[in-house]
Amino acid sequence: MARKLALLVAALVAVASPATALWPQPRNITTGSTALRLSPGFTISLSSIDGAPEDLVQAVTRTESYIKTDKLGRLVVGRGSSDVAAYSRAKTLSQLTLSLSHGAKVQSITTEAQKPLEERDEAYTLTVPSDGSAAKLTASSTLGLFHGLTTFGQLWYENDGTIYTMTTPVDIEDSPAYPYRGFMLDTARNFFPVSDILRTLDAMSWVKINTFHWHVVDSQSFPLEVPGFTDLAAKGAYDPTMVYTSADVQNIVAYAGARGIDVMVEIDTPGHTAVISQAHPEFVACAQATPWSTFANEPPAGQLRFADPSVTQYTTELLHAVAEMFPGTMLSTGGDELNTNCYDADAETQSLLKSTGRTLEEALDVFVQAEQKTLASVGKTPVVWEEMVLVQNVTLSSDTLVLVWISSDDVKAVAQKGFKVIHAASNFFYLDCGGGGWVGDNPQGNSWCDPFKTWQLGYTFDPLANLTTDEAKLVMGGQHLLWTEQSGPENLDPIVWPRAASSAELFWSGAGGNVTSALPRLHDVSFRMRQRGVNSINLQPLWCALRPDACDLNA
Amino acid sequence: MVALIPFPLLLGLVLLSHGARALWPIPRSLTTGSSAVKLSKTFAIHVDIAHPPQDLLDAVARSTSRLQTDKFQRLVLGGVSQDITAVHTAHEIKSLILALTASAPVRNLSEEATMAINSRSESYTLSLPTHQAQAILTANSTLGLFRGLATFEQLWYDLDGTKYLLNGPLEIADEPAFPYRGFSFDTSRNFYPVSDILRTIDAMSMVKLSILYWHIIDSQSFPLEVSELPYLSVKGAYSTNEVYSEQDVQQIVAYANARGIDVIMELDSPGHTTAISYGYPQHIACANKSPWATYASEPPAGQLRIASNATIQFAKTLFGSVSSKLHGTMTSSGGDEVNLPCWAEDKETQADLARTNITIEQALDSFIGEVQGVLKKNGKVPFIKSDMVLTHNVTVTNDTVVVVWQKSADAPAVASRNLRLIHQPSDYFYLDCGAGEWLGADILGNSWCDPFKTWQRAYSFDPLANLTEPQQHLVLGGQMPIWSEQTDPENLDPIVWPRLASGAEVFWTGATLPDGSPRLGPNTTSGTQVLARLHELRFRLVDRGVRAIALQPKWCVLRPGDCDL
Repeated sequence: MARKLALLVAALVAVASPATALWPQPRNITTGSTALRLSPGFTISLSSIDGAPEDLVQAVTRTESYIKTDKLGRLVVGRGSSDVAAYSRAKTLSQLTLSLSHGAKVQSITTEAQKPLEERDEAYTLTVPSDGSAAKLTASSTLGLFHGLTTFGQLWYENDGTIYTMTTPVDIEDSPAYPYRGFMLDTARNFFPVSDILRTLDAMSWVKINTFHWHVVDSQSFPLEVPGFTDLAAKGAYDPTMVYTSADVQNIVAYAGARGIDVMVEIDTPGHTAVISQAHPEFVACAQATPWSTFANEPPAGQLRFADPSVTQYTTELLHAVAEMFPGTMLSTGGDELNTNCYDADAETQSLLKSTGRTLEEALDVFVQAEQKTLASVGKTPVVWEEMVLVQNVTLSSDTLVLVWISSDDVKAVAQKGFKVIHAASNFFYLDCGGGGWVGDNPQGNSWCDPFKTWQLGYTFDPLANLTTDEAKLVMGGQHLLWTEQSGPENLDPIVWPRAASSAELFWSGAGGNVTSALPRLHDVSFRMRQRGVNSINLQPLWCALRPDACDLNA
Repeated sequence: MVALIPFPLLLGLVLLSHGARALWPIPRSLTTGSSAVKLSKTFAIHVDIAHPPQDLLDAVARSTSRLQTDKFQRLVLGGVSQDITAVHTAHEIKSLILALTASAPVRNLSEEATMAINSRSESYTLSLPTHQAQAILTANSTLGLFRGLATFEQLWYDLDGTKYLLNGPLEIADEPAFPYRGFSFDTSRNFYPVSDILRTIDAMSMVKLSILYWHIIDSQSFPLEVSELPYLSVKGAYSTNEVYSEQDVQQIVAYANARGIDVIMELDSPGHTTAISYGYPQHIACANKSPWATYASEPPAGQLRIASNATIQFAKTLFGSVSSKLHGTMTSSGGDEVNLPCWAEDKETQADLARTNITIEQALDSFIGEVQGVLKKNGKVPFIKSDMVLTHNVTVTNDTVVVVWQKSADAPAVASRNLRLIHQPSDYFYLDCGAGEWLGADILGNSWCDPFKTWQRAYSFDPLANLTEPQQHLVLGGQMPIWSEQTDPENLDPIVWPRLASGAEVFWTGATLPDGSPRLGPNTTSGTQVLARLHELRFRLVDRGVRAIALQPKWCVLRPGDCDL
């Protein structure tokens, strides 16, 4: 008993004094308490990697630049002035050497990042000695090296021109708990310029998020230029300047890939498609029908007439074309919030159902199977929202990934049906909740998913709650999501950061993190993001950020 | 006084279905037509005033410049190319003439903006004809002219550099329903660089706000330089870079005044003063004492030792120093959320009380009296938070203005004491509500004033609710505050704008829209009415570099009413 208690005390001490401010917290880390300065001539060496890919070379250059330009003062009272005595006597570090483990194939970060989820190798080992001898980063893949560079970049603080760390030696062996760590952005309700997306990708990469779930189109606008289907954006984008061209998409995909991020595009169907009626009115039932609340969850109403074989044909061709724009292996066909009133009131749909003798569900099954067959033909793993499994009676291929959004309570049911799960629960991860009602003429209206989802709530989510051991294996990971009815370029950064980092750590480091020890590290990553030009907000008054735990509920 | 002529309901209906969506706040009286009007390439603003003050000329120069640089385009389905023909043949306005009414004094705009709150003249008339090339702006004061310029700037859309409107001719007669239209800004929980404050002032002036209520200090930091008490900021600011020097303050006040905005500084006391303990520990009881929840509403705990003669002297020096250097006639001593256990457990305070044989409430009463005395000596009207009056029943001077903040229902109780008040109710106006818990180790915690206060909620506020007619004159106006526990330069604009504009219209436009209908009538917040105008304002703010957020998908913006409930 006494021995147990002693162990517990030791563990508490370890938790209460986080040696470093890394985010996400590495799976295995030991640190010392010796200061180490960065030499002004510090370099990162790739010389042991024959034929280092260009994206790795650039990642190294960026890391060197971040370390020199971050200029982050340590988050303690005095902002690092009290560290002078320690670091002024410290050794200096001149080099970090990168190497791939013996026999590892040298492939670009991009290639590694776009592999199927289960085949990615993101692990790395990092050691930073106290004596000034070279730090070492090793991995079995360039993607692992990339993540290690990100970790290395978070070790450093600046005071009065000196770049230093207080916690050497550092020994890290790290790899993610879950292969899918995402962030979803809706670019249809309101448009975001490419530069906003690129900045977001950078911030994502700093916390090792590896999937950009791009909800690119919806009923409100169709900003994606798809080769062969350019009329959709020409007529459905808000404005000719609010279009992602093929070149933009290539740019975004390449930028993401070089930062260890796969782009999972979503063409939400058959609901959320009112905008297709701008170019093809014959394909959309109840387009802009009123009252919208009878026919859709939000304005405008409009859904694909999936009972129509020509609509199915069109949709599969569109998906095929979209699939060719995105090199990753996952593609979402959406499938949320299908409204049956819309089809009941649609004469064309009713006559098509009558002529084929199918029910609406049967017609949907035919449509979804056609979609999935198309994805399979181009090597994509299909991704759908949970209703396709739990509400609609459709046949899905067994490799389908299911996004659980309505409630985390629905995870169990999806897993019981044997599908892989991506956590995207509105009751934990929706970044837009708490912004009040946005529909007009509703003075007392509130956010449908009120209250605001704090970082603490997301951070304490249990990805395996109520799951059996076998079901737990189906959990691929999860993500925060931003629906943009009330967001745009003006508030993108502050509404996303640093909250989205909380799921990044949850799905990298695994569940069970402690909010008290996490908060100082989250402050640190938020402040570092700001130094790098992302408008990540202060979660608390600065007074609290400089005094860990002083602003805890029961402090 | 400018006569306010209510105009026929019929014209009002035309207005609602047509162009003049752009104006915010909506003028008290407005007639519009349906003719296109544009500004001439040589358009100029002429000030027809002998010896015009420099700050008015500067304002005119800024307006002139913005009329060139604004790129805001009409929000219309199908794009503005449909306006090309109308713009081509539009009536051309070559100049805007600014004139003061006969016998009106010629005073600096800054001076007009900082006069006693009830003696300001902000009214103006603006005439934009379609039969002559001159528009005319007239007022009784330079401040009125400034308000009119803000209106004039909002009339125009851009089409390839040409500024036009589609609802000429226009006749506007305008004045505010309430003189006090404010924004309360907390720069203590997190610090904001001067540039953020100046940008905010510019945005405030666009919607005719008249007061920056500057909650400059609090328990977390003391960013105000006070030359007589230098350690307040030297020790109490977050860092040497996070201080408003006396020079910064003068710059901010001058910048605000020149934009028709008076600055009221709030030195919150005797609670919310922990930051004083870093420089002057002897004056603070229970500084940083834990558990904080026992001694304060939020961390860190710490309050002035109100029963100490030395502390009273210290407070008088502080208020005297700050208020004597500030332009304007109003200063606030705050007074919210004092905590009794803090003083009950403070040995020094208990000894002081025992020595003088008074209760803590008596000490509080006496402390407030001393502070108000200093403010009066320096020519300031004292402002105080409503809990000082309603919870602690302290004696305040008759001219005190009470900031009603806890809930809107508190206003009648304040009015029943015959004290003037401003509305700042947390249940309508707090811009920070709804962002979740900010305290650590509180996983399921929520914003204390959840839910988020939408623009619609704020707009639905009735400043005269539950007040008797004789009490109504006590309402000076109101303000929306941002408390900065979860706000800093990264999200200042998106949290504040465009919601703050709701409060601006509530207190400018008052109870009645220009068509004679009640401001709070049915469908008020519909996308075809107020929301359509607010969308325009939001896009104008963005055009001018203020990161005001989208209130709806752009799809809704382009289709007024289609996204109504």
